Amino acid sequence: MRYRIGIIALAALAAWFLPYGLDSYAIHVVNVILIFAILAIGLGLCMGVGGQVNLAQVAFFGVGAYTTAILTTKTGWGFWLSAVLALAATIAVGLLVGTPALRVQSHYLGIVTLGLALAFTNWVTNAQVAGGAEGISAIPVPTIPGVDLSNEYLYYYLELAVFAVGLVFGLFIVRTALGRRMRAMRDDALAAGALGADVPVLRMTAFLLASVYGGLGGVLYAGLIRYVAPETFSIANMFLLLGMVIIGGRQSLIGCVVGAAGLYLVRELLADHPTVAQIGYGTVVVLVVVFAPTGLAGLPKRIRDLVTRRRGGQGEAARLQPFQPYETVRPDESGSQSPILEVDGISMYFRGLRALDDVSLSITPGEIRGIVGPNGSGKTTLFNVISGLYRPTRGRIRFRGQDSTGLAPYRLARAGMSRTFQNLRLFGDLTVEENVLVAIDRNATWHSWRYVARPISVLRRDRDLHRRAAEVIERYGLAEFAALPPKSLPYGIQRRVEIARAVAAGPALLLLDEPAAGLNGDEVRQLSEIVRSVRDSGVTVIIIEHNMGLVMSLCERITVLASGHVIAEGEPAEVASTPAVIEAYLGDSMSSDDLPSVPEVTG
Amino acid sequence: MVRLRATAISASVVLALVVAAGCSAPGGDDKKAGDDSGPIKIALVDAQSGQLSSLGAWELKGAKLAVTEWNAAGGINGRQIQLDVFDDQGDPTTGTNLARKIDSEGYIAMLGTAESAVTIAMAPTLKTAEIPNITSGQSPGLVAVGSEFLFLNGPTSTTYDETLAKYIVDQQGIKDIALITNNGSYGKGEHDAFTKALKTRNVTPLVDQVVTADQKDFSAALTTIRQKNPKLIFLGAEEVESGLIVKQARDLGITVPFAGAAPQGTPVFLDTAGAKNAEGTIVSSPYLSNDINEASKKFATAYKAAYNEEAELHGAKAYDGAQILLTALKSSNVASGKPLADAIRGTKYQGLLGSFAFDNTGVGIFATSIGKIENGKLTAASS
Repeated sequence: MRYRIGIIALAALAAWFLPYGLDSYAIHVVNVILIFAILAIGLGLCMGVGGQVNLAQVAFFGVGAYTTAILTTKTGWGFWLSAVLALAATIAVGLLVGTPALRVQSHYLGIVTLGLALAFTNWVTNAQVAGGAEGISAIPVPTIPGVDLSNEYLYYYLELAVFAVGLVFGLFIVRTALGRRMRAMRDDALAAGALGADVPVLRMTAFLLASVYGGLGGVLYAGLIRYVAPETFSIANMFLLLGMVIIGGRQSLIGCVVGAAGLYLVRELLADHPTVAQIGYGTVVVLVVVFAPTGLAGLPKRIRDLVTRRRGGQGEAARLQPFQPYETVRPDESGSQSPILEVDGISMYFRGLRALDDVSLSITPGEIRGIVGPNGSGKTTLFNVISGLYRPTRGRIRFRGQDSTGLAPYRLARAGMSRTFQNLRLFGDLTVEENVLVAIDRNATWHSWRYVARPISVLRRDRDLHRRAAEVIERYGLAEFAALPPKSLPYGIQRRVEIARAVAAGPALLLLDEPAAGLNGDEVRQLSEIVRSVRDSGVTVIIIEHNMGLVMSLCERITVLASGHVIAEGEPAEVASTPAVIEAYLGDSMSSDDLPSVPEVTG
Repeated sequence: MVRLRATAISASVVLALVVAAGCSAPGGDDKKAGDDSGPIKIALVDAQSGQLSSLGAWELKGAKLAVTEWNAAGGINGRQIQLDVFDDQGDPTTGTNLARKIDSEGYIAMLGTAESAVTIAMAPTLKTAEIPNITSGQSPGLVAVGSEFLFLNGPTSTTYDETLAKYIVDQQGIKDIALITNNGSYGKGEHDAFTKALKTRNVTPLVDQVVTADQKDFSAALTTIRQKNPKLIFLGAEEVESGLIVKQARDLGITVPFAGAAPQGTPVFLDTAGAKNAEGTIVSSPYLSNDINEASKKFATAYKAAYNEEAELHGAKAYDGAQILLTALKSSNVASGKPLADAIRGTKYQGLLGSFAFDNTGVGIFATSIGKIENGKLTAASS
């Protein structure tokens, strides 16, 4: 910690005294680099942290610069007033550019945003108000009483202040609730939604952040160069910016800054050797993408990992601790036992395929319900419909007395539904603790205005979240894995992390999709203990499972699905002896694993 | 413990630096201007990479040819001329960096750039640093900058279209004119300048078609033009696109001539359109071809000998610009700053593009020539 403070203090001092050692050319280059660094932070937040491919960052930059230029030269308004309006305009454009992200993702989003960026350069080239190809010159110098900002040395301090605030604010976001949620969305938007992260709002937030930084960069550019022309905001510069973020390491804001400074310096140093520059520039990008996909920022960690591996692992391997049961909450016997979930005549067609056909279910609070059936009988489809991933073709669903048909997953999650996935969906680049933290955080994303207005309350809340996450992790015996990424853990432990995460969200109804798949006998026994304890703490559980031993011993009632129909429902022993069930299993699959084995239940 | 000590050491180092730097405001580097010995340093700033690199390459060849000739003749006042190349990548921001760089490295004059926006971005810095700049840009915006250190080595783009309109409307009496231009920066500039030139003659275009800069199929725009039955089509696009437009127009049965500025006079245009299709095209250019007069023939031969390729307009412009600068350097006894700018302004020079005489706006030449493609060759038009 002390070490880190020392480094920060040193960097701050170096930044403060940097201009003393530079000539007028060098300080100008540094000023331009700072602008690119601010743009790169914005792009890093949107692309690296939020996972939203944004090739329109250069257009945000342009909107900021052009609006400042137009307002100061055409209306005669002061620089700072124009700057504020320019920032507002950039944010408006950013939100507009972001809307396609609600529908398309990854490279499709890249194409859409690139198209919008091209549209911007085309527009400024042709628009009278933007000065056409000649651009707008003679932008007035920004004024601060007592400081001559036409002096580039003093302008440096203005930029440095904006840059420092921008970087600190960016890091603040990344390391607290909002950034965690954005990273979760980046890793797995589906799982993030199922844990209550309002994905559409988060995506717009990513573009909002990108546009704020883009606008700041643009305003500073207008004040520094005092001339804007379409070429500055060309696609070539967009790819330069992209190169900075990729080389630096898009998931780390510091990496983005290092990338911006490094690439720009290289470009500037090689200005006298144009042919070498082009080859060198291309080579560096290729080398980084191939050998250091996490960018320069990821290198120290990779080297550290390599060294530990050479030394032969770190002393003691982390061990899973036993699960500590929840305190039993006596179910509320007095109240009427109205069902927590009612599935009423649900049908789900995929083109010609009837995955679900008129399925009805009713789950009473405090129950553990098993859903079984041969492969392809529609179990997971039913879960997906209940948890809002699919909108049913027909039928209604009522959750806690409210009609919830077709609600977005994150709304259902907010209303108290939580689920796990058949194929684990953990957030791979987050640690185990952060996975749990995402689930514990129940605030709507729009609460993030506090980041600007009340940063201290954000910090306080975050400390509280960490405390609660530590409790969950302790209870599930995961303490020694808390700081590790789930990808590196054994399969059984990953399963436990996913359940811990789902329960940490504090649901009233928990949907478990094949939680025992891939677990060994001992782990299955622990799982059944966990599920029972979770239920005893007052959570209703629905479980899809192929392991009949587990289902028969754990569930109070079982629903059997075959070919999208409910063919039986009742207590385990009762269901196991239903002829239709036996027929469905034998008729569909001869695998003995799938056969309900009655002796295990009674034994 | 080790870490603590390292922090302490580095902190004290920084502290020492602080003391060394004192408490003055940063800045104020002392510049060595008017160095009287060694070579005369001239910077050539142009795009050597990126989309505009071909323009930059032509410029470099033209300017280098002039410098080589002077150096071979013994330089100026016994001093050799050193021409150093800087790559602006066609990017205005990079241009502002380079403006400060050539200032801090003691260059006394600058040639280039071919990109008006880059030159405009550099102009304020060069003005403050008092470095005269002869640019190949031709945008009217260069004049609007109002820097007494900025000169153009050719006419402004309005001159091209003004001369063209004069020839077409005033001399040939053609008033049924259609426009086809692209929405890139060049096409947009041509569109506006020619429309303006027509307006002063009370001519309204029959039809005004705008295409994109990377379009390949123009049948829709050309069909619209054909329906209006114009007598002439004004073409505002770069070489290759212009060629494609003319070719497709002939395929659609449009027989009227095309008219345009410099790109339509180039071999690239002729090759793309096909000599037969391009027949009759009217071109407004300050440098029609390599064999228009004795001077251009001599230049073209030297150019061919040096680079083994045909000379063209941009090289010729850069050659003229370099010649003017070097002449001014000689006449002012290798002055720099304001005296050098004044010397350039006072230079009367008979060049490849015509006779230069600079006015206060930094423009030295105010007319272009009209040429016509006849029998697959561009020749001066007889009015």
